[in-house]
Amino acid sequence: MIIRKMLFASVAVACVVGPISALADTADKKIALSNNYAGNSWRQAMLTSWDKITKDAVAKGVVAAADPFTTAENQATEQAAQIQNLILQGYDAIVVNAASPTALNGAIKEACDAGIIVVSFDGIVTEPCAWRIAVDFKAMGESQLDYLAKKLPKGGNLLEIRGLAGVSVDDEIHAGIEAGVEKNPQFKIVGSVNGDWAQDVAQRAVAGILPSLPEIAAVVTQGGDGYGAAQAFAAANRPTPTIVMGNREDELVWWKQQKDKNGYETMSVSIAPGVSTLAFWVAQQILDGKEVKKDLVVPFLRIDQDNLETNLAGTQKGGVANVEYSLEDAQKVIASAK
Amino acid sequence: MNAPRLLLSKPWIWSFVATITVWIITVLFTGGASSLGLSQAALTFAAFSVIVGIGQMFVITLGPGNIDLSVPATMTLSGTLALKLMDVQDSMIVVGLLLSVLLGTVLGIGNYALIKLLRIPPIIATLSMSFIVQSTAIWANRGLRIKPPEVLASFTTSSLFGIPNVAIVALALSAIAWLLLEKSIYGRWISAIGQSTFAARMTGIPVDGTRLVTYMLCAVLASICGYLLASFSGGAALNMGAEYLLMSIAVVVIGGTAVAGGNSNIPGIWGASLFMFLVVSMLNTYGFGAGFRLILTGLIIIAVILMAGGRQSTR
Repeated sequence: MIIRKMLFASVAVACVVGPISALADTADKKIALSNNYAGNSWRQAMLTSWDKITKDAVAKGVVAAADPFTTAENQATEQAAQIQNLILQGYDAIVVNAASPTALNGAIKEACDAGIIVVSFDGIVTEPCAWRIAVDFKAMGESQLDYLAKKLPKGGNLLEIRGLAGVSVDDEIHAGIEAGVEKNPQFKIVGSVNGDWAQDVAQRAVAGILPSLPEIAAVVTQGGDGYGAAQAFAAANRPTPTIVMGNREDELVWWKQQKDKNGYETMSVSIAPGVSTLAFWVAQQILDGKEVKKDLVVPFLRIDQDNLETNLAGTQKGGVANVEYSLEDAQKVIASAK
Repeated sequence: MNAPRLLLSKPWIWSFVATITVWIITVLFTGGASSLGLSQAALTFAAFSVIVGIGQMFVITLGPGNIDLSVPATMTLSGTLALKLMDVQDSMIVVGLLLSVLLGTVLGIGNYALIKLLRIPPIIATLSMSFIVQSTAIWANRGLRIKPPEVLASFTTSSLFGIPNVAIVALALSAIAWLLLEKSIYGRWISAIGQSTFAARMTGIPVDGTRLVTYMLCAVLASICGYLLASFSGGAALNMGAEYLLMSIAVVVIGGTAVAGGNSNIPGIWGASLFMFLVVSMLNTYGFGAGFRLILTGLIIIAVILMAGGRQSTR
């Protein structure tokens, strides 16, 4: 009697749940995020976006779990150990923001051999068995020069603020900027410093080189360093050049103030931290059995003079301008790669 | 004859020699036009290194194995919490500063509690403390930048008679530290402990009390530095202290303080802090690439330490 009741109940439950799980065959799959660093505003926004989108996905039964894991030190060895743990814990897919493009390859290969889908983004890995969601950082660097060539047709002296020395992203953006300068020879890089993508480091470095520099027409940056550069120019009583911004809220607020005061014009470009959610959906699609190319390209988020206010309004105070990606966005990115 | 020799026998003189050399080379690039701007920038940014450097110097003076690796995390947490508490209100500036000092005191006690009660070596104890502190900072502000109160921000970024205000603050703190080190019984005690803990204990010096106070002093100075730096750079950021871990140790060593402990000096911290800023500015000015710049910075630091250390071995 009781057994019959239970059977009846489970059939009823199956009928209710059935249609939803039929949507995605990934309802029992577990996805993990392996993240190497959490100590700046961009990474915090990345983790918040991940949390927001995946909680919703788990609640709707798209996947069984989507747990984020962050290593304490930004080190490849530690992240490799973390990935090995995730393999043992039985995750079906691992989404990675890697500390190094090559040093994790061994651990990634182990995961692939265990039948786990590995999707890397932002900090990508070179191991062929993994998927890569890369940003065209070179194009990001070049786009700054394209903008400046239009705004300052006469050209002038440039100050370049680079990121963290030795990181591949820094080299790629720099290569893009160099290519842009070659294309627009009216511009000349007269100074280059490393700002480590941090306002205070950039401010320090710019303040040190600025007294020795001639008149600067524009500052090309990598994101997270524009506000510090503006502070350094103000402290040295130098005219403010066109400083390309990197989507941070303090940068956008400063830009807005200058715009209201004297019609200051510039542009802002960076990757949205929400790219982690794109990686999540791509992993889900692969688990769902979709055919996905190994190399995908994510568009960068650009803010211009006319959409500054809307973007600023949507940006959390003290955070980074962000977009979160949906399943449809991911499907579009996947389709465009074919 | 005697005066130059006396001067040359000071361990801190080499950091100033190096600083002046680097300053001249950098200024030569523009034929002297950049001298004022460069000096002001150097004083401003050296001030922050000086403040954390003094704290680290006291700890290193305590002898082999004593070091505080929680400096960056302490700076970050102090900047974050103080700015959050002040919440852009000018009336809260003093309260924010008090919070910073209190926080430093607590973290210093925490550090020494780990070292003493759990018998963990300082390098491990302060490192684990820094994980706890950094995570608290992340938890407290989630990577958001909070703006400083207007009055405080303009105070830290402006200058008095051409000397940056932060440099004046650092100078005042240095003067107090110099009095503590050279004129007070506490200064004698830490030197004695650094030279031989055993002998110090035998002579009746309160070794544990002195060490506790020293770790507290270091954490308080790091807290104040975090408070000032966050106000100076327009907001606290999670990675704002990162640079100051190696910096705080480097300025102590380049400044001529004995790494083995027991022998320290304040002027050297200033020479070394100015030097650390100027050497990067010099290499940037002459347009060296990042890789070459790092190698040269390393080589120059080794050269300065060798010169300062060569004197000590002939003592």
